[in-house]
Amino acid sequence: MEHLISSQDMARFVASGFLRYDHMVPEDLCHACREEMTSFGGYRPVGTPFEETWPKDGALGELFRLPKVAGLIHSLVGPDPLYDHHAAHLVKARTMRGPNTHQDSVIDFRKNYFDIQLSFFPVDTPDEMGGTFIVPGSHFRNVRTGEINAYQHVLGKTWATCPAGTFYVWNTRLWHGARSNHTDQDRYMFKLRLNPTQPQVGHFDMSALDDPEIPRILNTRHGWEGNEMRYELMKRVELWRYVSAQPDYDIGERFMRRREYQPQLADDQRG
Amino acid sequence: MAKVQDILVFFQTAPALDVRPSAWARYEASKGSEVGDLVEEGQPPYRNAMAAMRDGWQVIQMSEFKQRTEAEGYELGAFPYQTVLSRFSEMQPE
Repeated sequence: MEHLISSQDMARFVASGFLRYDHMVPEDLCHACREEMTSFGGYRPVGTPFEETWPKDGALGELFRLPKVAGLIHSLVGPDPLYDHHAAHLVKARTMRGPNTHQDSVIDFRKNYFDIQLSFFPVDTPDEMGGTFIVPGSHFRNVRTGEINAYQHVLGKTWATCPAGTFYVWNTRLWHGARSNHTDQDRYMFKLRLNPTQPQVGHFDMSALDDPEIPRILNTRHGWEGNEMRYELMKRVELWRYVSAQPDYDIGERFMRRREYQPQLADDQRG
Repeated sequence: MAKVQDILVFFQTAPALDVRPSAWARYEASKGSEVGDLVEEGQPPYRNAMAAMRDGWQVIQMSEFKQRTEAEGYELGAFPYQTVLSRFSEMQPE
């Protein structure tokens, strides 16, 4: 498989819950996708093989089969993903949005598992057009959908201000929401959710696992963590252990060891 | 114009009043009955609740400590603590 994401980018996805890639899509395909979005239609059968379910013809069929996009998908959910759902999100021109922070779908406690959502921006999306906002690093904090819309502002909150052809890919548990569109143009974002069909272990480029940058990436502070940074870090280390097949990985003060080191227990009791 | 209650909520990772908020929300009834267009704010209006108190806000709720069990001690969810601040302001037309 070509265009796998790097070990460093995978660590960024684990630490921050998203990756952004500018200029992933040629301009003419962006135009064609934007035209097609308005009439593309609703849900396909949920939980069916993506390759069979997703149309092979048309601009949006081509979009998610671009080699770079296919490599990105493979890196995060592995081969043969399942189609979950898609939507052409529209915020009409001069449409105002209030507090909207939420986590998608229903609360999700599955361990060593994540779905991905691909968000494609087909036209230039300046700040005032209201690109989707995200709260980086929030994907380990399970909540019930919209109950967090009381968080009007969060330290480190950021949003999609991006050129046409940009892809965001994010862990579906990331806190996010829509923003006001102050322009005279409708704002479109096309999203696609995919499920893995096998363990999400080692599907990315694993050649740089020993890069000293990786522990620094995993230790990223997004601004809001405060007293809970150590608990966030342990969640990141747990997921990094899993996706990189390094079950004993730990960093810095080795907080995981504080939980796991118990010499009084026999080997078979430590688990 | 009559004075009505404005609320400022600080969402925190520790309950103390001198902790920097992780998130915040304004419910300024003096300005309207909903937040129709959220204007982004990169930093909280005060660095902590005590700074807000020095500007006239009254604390009407401070969080209790949480007991952590072995099963829940490492789990994460919504921000665990909040401080609710209140101030009365002159009502403006909606």
